[in-house]
Amino acid sequence: MKEFSKEELTQYNGKNGTPAYIGYKGKVYDVSGSFLWSDGNHQVLHNAGADLTDAMGQAPHDGDALEKFPMVGTLRHVGTESSEVAS
Amino acid sequence: MAKVAREMVEKSGINVDQLVELLVKNAAAELTTYYYYTILRCNLIGLEGEGIKEIAEAARIEDRNHFEALVPRIYELGGKLPEEMKAFHDASACPPARLPKDPSDTQAILKVLVEAERCAVRGYTHICNLTAGKDHRTYDLSQAILNEEVEHESWFSEFLGEGPSGHFMRRGENSPFVSKFLR
Repeated sequence: MKEFSKEELTQYNGKNGTPAYIGYKGKVYDVSGSFLWSDGNHQVLHNAGADLTDAMGQAPHDGDALEKFPMVGTLRHVGTESSEVAS
Repeated sequence: MAKVAREMVEKSGINVDQLVELLVKNAAAELTTYYYYTILRCNLIGLEGEGIKEIAEAARIEDRNHFEALVPRIYELGGKLPEEMKAFHDASACPPARLPKDPSDTQAILKVLVEAERCAVRGYTHICNLTAGKDHRTYDLSQAILNEEVEHESWFSEFLGEGPSGHFMRRGENSPFVSKFLR
């Protein structure tokens, strides 16, 4: 399964025909097929191509809402990214 | 546009353009739900469906009322509705409440109805959370709509065997919470 950096994830923002991927708790989900993620935007405030773990805390639903979407990869931990850059 | 009203909301720290977009999306959800519920209601027939038809009709009429109540607030805040109906439909905050593949499957219709109401409950809870203590008028309106959406959810949930709704369906007038915005 593909491992995404946060920068790579930004390429999957659902705009101009690109898939809409979002990160949540270290996993990456493909929400492209969802009516609620048209054009990579969800309820005005949230954009695809980003890690939405923190935003989920303010949402009127929990992370279970993502279970119906295909998981397409994992999200590389920031600490890991930093160490890779350093090396 | 109600210039000072918008200014007050801006000063409270709310991004008014985002709020207006959210209100437009929810207005779209209400009007499209009204449309899709018309089809669902027409297909609630037979021994099982007929008993639910009247309740689906109450929810349908109240969802249209929600649309009517939201529109003035959108314009007060400097927003507007999309000129194209298709754009409005596609901007909906909730997925289309389409008729199930088997229109005679009353349980499947009930699931569509309850999911539509749950989407609305989430949406208005979100708007209430965003506007509480900041935009008093939008909060009041959203809370009134939320009260009715919660009741709709509980009606359909009861028919799905998820437990009692705890109250009766409407007696007399529709929209007991939202009607003050429709006068």
